[in-house]
Amino acid sequence: MSGGLDLEQRYRRVLRLLPGYYRDTWEDDMVAAFLDSWMTGDPDEDSVTMEFDRPSRAEVASVIGLAARLYLGGAGAPRRYFTWGQAVRGVALAVLLVHAAAGLDGLVSVFLHGSHRIVPAPPATIVTASPGGVWPPTVWYVVGYVWIVIYVALVLGHYRTARVVAVLAIVPALAWLLQGQLTGSLQSPFGSWAFWFLIDLVPILAMAAFHRDAPPAARRPWLLALPAYYLLVSVPVLAAELTGHRDWVPDTPGLCCILVAVLCLAHVPRAWSGRAGTGVWSLTLVLLAAVAGVYRIVSLGDYLRDPHLIYYLQGPHLINVGLAELLILVAAAALVAPDAARAQTALPAPPPRPQPG
Amino acid sequence: MTGQGFFVLTALASGPRHGYGIVREVAELSQGRVQLKIGSLYGVLERLAADGLIEPDREEARDGRLRRYFRLTRDGRRALAEEAELRAATARVVRTRLGLTGAEAAG
Repeated sequence: MSGGLDLEQRYRRVLRLLPGYYRDTWEDDMVAAFLDSWMTGDPDEDSVTMEFDRPSRAEVASVIGLAARLYLGGAGAPRRYFTWGQAVRGVALAVLLVHAAAGLDGLVSVFLHGSHRIVPAPPATIVTASPGGVWPPTVWYVVGYVWIVIYVALVLGHYRTARVVAVLAIVPALAWLLQGQLTGSLQSPFGSWAFWFLIDLVPILAMAAFHRDAPPAARRPWLLALPAYYLLVSVPVLAAELTGHRDWVPDTPGLCCILVAVLCLAHVPRAWSGRAGTGVWSLTLVLLAAVAGVYRIVSLGDYLRDPHLIYYLQGPHLINVGLAELLILVAAAALVAPDAARAQTALPAPPPRPQPG
Repeated sequence: MTGQGFFVLTALASGPRHGYGIVREVAELSQGRVQLKIGSLYGVLERLAADGLIEPDREEARDGRLRRYFRLTRDGRRALAEEAELRAATARVVRTRLGLTGAEAAG
């Protein structure tokens, strides 16, 4: 027998991707349907099929898609999976909010520079800061706008549009990374790929949580969050830079750490109140803290490898400051983590197995 | 209603079917254009059951494996009829706008 497993066992192994409560109800049925689709009725042929064939990639992909929808549950899902689904949806929206705010920042700077064309030539600051490579600076600039469209589309429930545009939006960075990788021009390959994965790919993967069963995002708060973020975060940062206080402004990963830590601290009274329904936000914040923490760690590793970058960005104290930001983030996240854990352990009984009527 | 959901309900309109029976019927109904994978099928079945449009009918053992049959509920029949009417009305509009007569449309 190939690999010691037959076709049924191989398919059951794939089905282990599904949550236990779902497998208890549907696994045997799925296996029967799957094997029916392979069997011809000829004992010899079926025996060979059972021994040597394995589930097709499309079949495995359909199970992965189902698993993603079940783990990131929507209406009607067991509470644990619903909590995870809501938390991942919150993380996707939060990361996209940061992207969109950066796009808004670019848009505003265009008007400050006096250009009023729809796709204006990027200002000199952006040209010098853009990664360059295979794309002209305007492409990076337009990608910045596009994140605003993706964010708004997701909030308004146009999930498919948001997904398609988001995939297109990360292509320029991917092409730039691949080009840099192939030509050896990436100064920090690990860091560059890690940033792309964390900041671009993770929110797009998290958009899988926006499926048909997912409750729609609360439109008004999330739409208001964009101008609010811009006014409360981007404008003060810009003001500090313009008034010559650039050293006071944390780098982007540091800013993310501080923002998530502040959100965690603001949520602590609710998380500790013992009220029901606070766990979703607690889990969202813990996941955001994980993203921000990894972003911080990767960026510090990058700085350590490139001392010139440290000097250019903020001076040699950046590493110590970065570690302090990380510590604050971990401490703040630890305050809401117990509530996040409680939200998962408070499992109601799984839905009853459907019985023939 | 999604295209897959519509085809699954249509497959059950003539009587209860088990998982693979639905896959086969959907492939036939769609003239091979919709080939449901098992993971997708059970995602659709679970959603239709949650919406009260289908329900389990019976279980039968064959080759040592249980097969669960599904059937349309009354709500499922009504939803399918409404969807079929909507699609037929849309098809009529398309034929009219393309200037197709019945014979041309059939040919």
